[in-house]
Amino acid sequence: MAKKNAVILGGGVSKFGVREAHILDLFQEAAKACSDDIPALKPTDIDGLLVCSTMAGRHSSALNTAPLLVQRLGLRPTSICTRLDTLCAGSNTGIILAKGLIESGISDVVMVTGAEKIFLPQRWETNYTQLMVNDHDWDSAMGLGVPPPFFALIAKMHMKRYGTTREQMAHVSVANYNYGSTNPNAHFYPRKLTMDEALSARPIAEPLSLFDCCPLTDGASAVIIASEDRARDLTDRPLVYIRGTGQVATHSMSAGWPGETLAEWPHLKKAAETAYKNAQVGPEDIDVANIHDCFTISEIIELEELGFCNKGEGGPYVASGAINIDAKRPINTDGGLISCGHPFGASGARQAIELVKQLQGRATNQVKGAKVALAHNLSGPSAQHTVVIYGREPVK
Amino acid sequence: MQTARIEGTPALDGKYISEMDLWPLECKEFNRLYKFYDYLREGRFTTTRCQKCGNVAFPPGVICPKCWSDELEWIDLPTRATVTTFTETVTGAPLGFDAPLILAWLDFGKDSPVKQLLARIVNCPEGKLKEGDEVKLVVFDVPAHPIEVKKETKVCERVYYAFEPVEKVA
Repeated sequence: MAKKNAVILGGGVSKFGVREAHILDLFQEAAKACSDDIPALKPTDIDGLLVCSTMAGRHSSALNTAPLLVQRLGLRPTSICTRLDTLCAGSNTGIILAKGLIESGISDVVMVTGAEKIFLPQRWETNYTQLMVNDHDWDSAMGLGVPPPFFALIAKMHMKRYGTTREQMAHVSVANYNYGSTNPNAHFYPRKLTMDEALSARPIAEPLSLFDCCPLTDGASAVIIASEDRARDLTDRPLVYIRGTGQVATHSMSAGWPGETLAEWPHLKKAAETAYKNAQVGPEDIDVANIHDCFTISEIIELEELGFCNKGEGGPYVASGAINIDAKRPINTDGGLISCGHPFGASGARQAIELVKQLQGRATNQVKGAKVALAHNLSGPSAQHTVVIYGREPVK
Repeated sequence: MQTARIEGTPALDGKYISEMDLWPLECKEFNRLYKFYDYLREGRFTTTRCQKCGNVAFPPGVICPKCWSDELEWIDLPTRATVTTFTETVTGAPLGFDAPLILAWLDFGKDSPVKQLLARIVNCPEGKLKEGDEVKLVVFDVPAHPIEVKKETKVCERVYYAFEPVEKVA
């Protein structure tokens, strides 16, 4: 029997931002947007549900989250129904699992949906919760909570070893804000950004300033992954195949850092190699990518470790315009985390939705003739790396 | 606009909530690594070494993450390290931490089984730390918590650690 192929049909997102809403409202909004994107889809078509959220238990008092969504979305899952928690990589983890569930025949139509309600009545509680997403008894008790200090250390090391500059980092903020200015669901829509604004912004954690950092964001996203046969019943659009995936984790806390210094991310390189091998493509085949720009320095290092430029040359690469819409391989064409914002569990599916649109030729910032696309998340203090590669053709 | 009196969450009535605790549960009733904290009280920075394969893990554990043996022994780690790089959080430090919150990437040297570690630097004013500075272990008290033992309440005293400049900076 021929192997089944997993196809991603499309999906939808809630408005991202500081939302006057409950997490279950956000999940419902994303499901509605998903349904609008795939009009033939009925709730009862979905036999598998993967719910991706890290904060739902703590911030919304919803520990066993998946059954809540069964009720709220009118689903009747028969193959799988569970919550996944891998922080920032939540819904890309769901997409990897959905691929396996479809290809193995366990599921036919899977919804992967992610959401976070980050903002609570008092802001201190959000920052306090951030101490609980790292290795609590060790790094967190040192004060490692909100991410900017850790990524500031990474930026300082990359600047020292490779000569990366604040100006080069600002090219990432400018590109991503300008992409996001065309995305009505982005947290900062319709804001654009100039180099002057980026370079004169207030410092957050030296050398990172305001626009180097993605914001904390409330929001939800949902995508539908189905077998090729079921997908043909549900959509007339060109099919987008999940070609290959990789997820690498090497450590939970600073003591296990796998690189020679903080500026080298060998665990991402390994995740990319695994995904490229499974997808039977290389970095040169990627036409468009959505990668984890939690900070400008992250995008720069990821471009290196994904093989889009040489190690250490991420700074000059972004400054050359290589991530812009008129380049060979535009990056984060919906605004990325920097403009869209980052509701952790929702970000992977948000990336997937943009890449599906790109491969179906219906993106707002369309990359002409895009055939192969790549999504990447890191989670925690660069503790885990997740790569998903999509294509217009299945792996032969 | 009427201002309501803020009374917090009435059912909790000032109770200790371990789920909201910044510090580890260190006592032997809740943590098999309690010796790490006992050794801290003696000024020792320790971890576990596997007696089967010799692997040194950090953080310590009850099995060896390399060979999964549970035959472990406690060993001392260096209490001095060198600052590779650091960052100072002046505004927006998490609740429970005062500004400047200085986090440093520390190098424990070639001979240490734990080479690199992130740690907080204390007893150092803003703007004084430099890359290459030598720092040393410092142990301090952190808030105690209650443990219910049948009808009694026992108090668990706690310590934690950070690093401070070897040469006192004003």
